[in-house]
Amino acid sequence: MDKNNHIIQLIVNREPTTLLVASNELLINVIRDRLGLTGTKYGCGTGQCAACTVLVNGQPVLGCLTLAVSVDGAEIVTAEGVAAPDGSLDPIQDAFIGNAAIQCGFCTPGMILVSKNLLESSPTPSEDEIREHIKGNLCRCTGYNGIVKAIKSCTSEKKRTELSTL
Amino acid sequence: MVNTKILTSDFNYHKPNNLTEVFKLITEYGTGARLIAGGTDVIPGLKYERISTKHLINIADVQELRYIKEDQGFRIGATTKLIDIKKFFADKKEYSGFYEAISSIAKIQILNMGTLGGNLCTASPAADSAPALLTFEAKVVLSNGKNQREVAINNFFTGVQQTVKKDDEIMTEIIIPPVADQVGSSFRRMVRVAADISKISCAILVNRSKNICHSAKVAMGAVATTPIRLYQVEEMLINQSIDEKILTNIGKVVSEVIQPITDIRSTENYRKQVAAVLFKDVFQIAWQKAGVQ
Repeated sequence: MDKNNHIIQLIVNREPTTLLVASNELLINVIRDRLGLTGTKYGCGTGQCAACTVLVNGQPVLGCLTLAVSVDGAEIVTAEGVAAPDGSLDPIQDAFIGNAAIQCGFCTPGMILVSKNLLESSPTPSEDEIREHIKGNLCRCTGYNGIVKAIKSCTSEKKRTELSTL
Repeated sequence: MVNTKILTSDFNYHKPNNLTEVFKLITEYGTGARLIAGGTDVIPGLKYERISTKHLINIADVQELRYIKEDQGFRIGATTKLIDIKKFFADKKEYSGFYEAISSIAKIQILNMGTLGGNLCTASPAADSAPALLTFEAKVVLSNGKNQREVAINNFFTGVQQTVKKDDEIMTEIIIPPVADQVGSSFRRMVRVAADISKISCAILVNRSKNICHSAKVAMGAVATTPIRLYQVEEMLINQSIDEKILTNIGKVVSEVIQPITDIRSTENYRKQVAAVLFKDVFQIAWQKAGVQ
């Protein structure tokens, strides 16, 4: 194996996969073009819009600024991996639909992933915490209010579930 | 027109497992090599062909460079992720100016990727961690594998994207010394949208007793070719009784001593005018914190 090509192993949306990648191959292109998971969007390509957000080992990172070879061994979740294996939607996805948090849809995959990450690390965030967490994901349609509302609604749902299980 | 979807430059990728391997690779490839940790500056740099390299050495997974230790202040490994630093300093009240600076860097994705050493070694005049570290009089440790040296952070930056770090050296550690009692600190920056690069930033650390300012450290970003300390302003604050009027007057001096440029983010005039207000605001926040502690 030369230093220009590398065999990497990833778990993408629960599926283990082995790939041969070039040194300069970006994670976003491996995900979109090699694995056909086009939910991950190419927006600016320079780390400004966060449309390319994916979860690497549970944490949101930018696919357009990540070398595929550098995430060898990682678990990756893209927008396609948020729903359950049987296809039923995650509560955050339902909430985006229910709160008109989607217009053109281009920012939605990234938004869903940062929202999911937020709710997992802090199940009852305040509105300020929500806006702080999603501030890097640019949306040019919704004005963000629908998105914030959707995340909030998941918060209260989680709260209700927690209360009912007590 | 640059195609930002792909990386056109071709390079060999190296992933050393420890520092010995890092220095071996640096010795072997010399100036043909480039270090990468978080990649949030290096990858855009490669895309825009601002930088080129034949050998990319990824030091992100070198565990010897990832730590935060409490040791007469704090020692932070150079490739410690910004998110880990943010979490660690969240409840360290004496270092709140540093915490605020780290927290304000870009967005969650960048905090997850970027490293403190990377933020400093990129040596952007607008690097948000730099003004805060200047006020805490931090030091950085540079090593070439055989010898290491400590450099005060105010001597580290020499120009836009330039530092005293030699080609065979890497930054291994950032040292934040302990702070005195009665100290308060704060950091604020001006941006167009929340996750932007700073138009102008300011960090202040004050040492207060009742209404007297014993000493203050004042630093700014994006107002010169490097992040800078404003020594002239600091001298005017020594042993002064603090009120609204003195801060307004010193604010005017702040506007005069900085040397900002006009670029895509702001004009020189805007930066000079805002600097006076930003100084006053940040000082007052730091001042209040020093009073509470």
